[in-house]
Amino acid sequence: MKRNTVILIVGIVAIAFMSYMLLSIGTKKSEKMLINASTPIVKEGIEARNDRWAKTYPRQFDSWKKTKKSSEIIDLVKKYPQLAILWAGYGFSKDYNAPRGHSFALQSNRNTLRTGAPTGANTGPMPMSCWSCKSPDVARLMEKEGEKEFFTGKWARAGSEIVNPIGCADCHNSQTGELQLSRPYLKRALVSSGRKLEDITYQEMRSLACAQCHSEYYFLKTPYKDKKGVQKTAAVVTFPWEKGLSAENMEDYYNSFGFKDWTHKLSKVPMLKAQHPGYEIFTTGIHYKRNLSCADCHMPYTQEGGVKFSDHQIQSPLNNIANSCLTCHRQSEAEFKSIVEEKLKRKDQLNVLTMNNLAGAHLMAKKAYEKGATNAEMTKVTETIRSSQWIWDYSIASHGSFFHAPEETLRLLAVANDKAQQARLELTGILAKYGILNYKVPDFSTKEKAQKLAGVNLNKLVKEKLSFKSKLMSDWIDKASKEGRLNKEYLKGLPDKASYPQ
Amino acid sequence: MTKEAALKYAAMVIVAVAIGMGLHLVGESKAISYMSSKPEACINCHVMESYYATWQHSSHAQRAVCVECHLPVDNYIDKYASKTLDGWNHSTAFTLNTYGKRMLISDDGARRVQENCIRCHSALSQTIVKTTDRYHAFDNETLGGGRKCWDCHRNVPHGKVRSINATPDNLGVKWHLKKY
Repeated sequence: MKRNTVILIVGIVAIAFMSYMLLSIGTKKSEKMLINASTPIVKEGIEARNDRWAKTYPRQFDSWKKTKKSSEIIDLVKKYPQLAILWAGYGFSKDYNAPRGHSFALQSNRNTLRTGAPTGANTGPMPMSCWSCKSPDVARLMEKEGEKEFFTGKWARAGSEIVNPIGCADCHNSQTGELQLSRPYLKRALVSSGRKLEDITYQEMRSLACAQCHSEYYFLKTPYKDKKGVQKTAAVVTFPWEKGLSAENMEDYYNSFGFKDWTHKLSKVPMLKAQHPGYEIFTTGIHYKRNLSCADCHMPYTQEGGVKFSDHQIQSPLNNIANSCLTCHRQSEAEFKSIVEEKLKRKDQLNVLTMNNLAGAHLMAKKAYEKGATNAEMTKVTETIRSSQWIWDYSIASHGSFFHAPEETLRLLAVANDKAQQARLELTGILAKYGILNYKVPDFSTKEKAQKLAGVNLNKLVKEKLSFKSKLMSDWIDKASKEGRLNKEYLKGLPDKASYPQ
Repeated sequence: MTKEAALKYAAMVIVAVAIGMGLHLVGESKAISYMSSKPEACINCHVMESYYATWQHSSHAQRAVCVECHLPVDNYIDKYASKTLDGWNHSTAFTLNTYGKRMLISDDGARRVQENCIRCHSALSQTIVKTTDRYHAFDNETLGGGRKCWDCHRNVPHGKVRSINATPDNLGVKWHLKKY
């Protein structure tokens, strides 16, 4: 009897131990599968619904979801009222905030006063192109409609189609999970700047996936005939990379066909708006030259259990210095923070100087026209202001340039500031000619004062926007969720924020 | 049925289940593969994939597999003692997740690898031993006074960058597994 009891106990202990081992082996095997496998999300086409990727890439998805932690609105027009003057007559003078997490791409796009308050598919100030960088639905719709067809019509046309914020399918192939360029305009830009697509390495893809959106672009008016043979015009997103990626190269490119984004409301200058040439300016920096990619710092590798994956909570590497900077550098976190802060201060100082001088130039030009200055007299001033503001905008519009390429950023700011000063010197002469000495430009020290000078009726814009949000926008969301393009649950986790009260 | 008989049958059932489960475990853990010298056995644990991939892309992949450097080759007692010790350490670390992202070789492991460097590169290392007093001021009899070959030959054979964090895509592993 004793023998049997001993066998029984030993047997049970052995079974318990082996069960534990089998469970452990099972876990490790599934981790290995996840590391080495690529499961198609859909058999064909593009899966724009980010939550559909969660089952296969749970860790990446969960970390991506954390981009919603970056929800704070920093009203940059309030912080730098000069901006309202610099962009007078253009959408950015109405509303311009610091960037937020990828999860908010569409909320910000719909909430900004720049996109206005359409009441139907064919109204509103903005074209379809304004969706381009905001959603994997863009790639899906482009595949469905055709690229030129996509770029035709008003922004409001696709409100119920473009509903998932920047996510999986913007950078990944829906079948293999591999990195891919979902936007044809970047491919064209790479070719136009002399790159061979087939020579692009995986490491370069880890930057180019970001460059699809974090780049300078303009809308190229492109006539075409649609499927029914009707003549139409598309506003196709195009990167000005043909002559090179520097501020001066792009300026040459734009000047070669006299392109302008808008005419300045105060100074009548045909202006260029730099969007966010983040990739371009990064390529002049030391980290790029050392062959780093955007993902190396913004999506550092991390580990959960035995699985290593890249952190998809794309954010400032300063929030994760240990996993980003310190994988290569040996200094302390505190030292890194202080170095970056120092760099930011340097840029801020030159940035404010330049903005003040540029805003002064615009207001002085306005005065000159009021006093009767002729276009011929103003030619040189006009050219100088255009060039100055372009270079200033290029240097800072991508926000991170002060770190990505500090030398280039400061160089451009110095050039832009010098040009703004040249314009003001010239204008001082012109004003003197019309009997005005020591002209003091109007006060633009607050958002209210600056927007008044720029002719922005903020209250009206906000009122219209709120009405749009409760009517048309709400219909878009309902329609998209009813037709299965959007998981409405997702929106519930996103705080609705804008630069104006909700 | 008496209590005694019940216990007897229960014990028999338990032993049968345990044997069956044991066999299943042998299969699941690929236990047999550890009797071979195949490098693929080392990537049964996926944390070794970085090391496998870096080796596979090195010139040593043409000449030597994992165990030819990491285990004693000509002393069977030493070989199986080392294999048992490593096997125990590795399997507990992997099972209990106690390993770090940057894995370092143990002192005993380093001894074995060093011996194997000398074993294969004997002509070269003999010259170094003979002339060692001309450029090393060490009284120590061992090569270079306790220094290891890879203190200078730092890229051999796994490359300088080989931690789990630093080798993002082990394409070599995937490519290799596809063939099998």
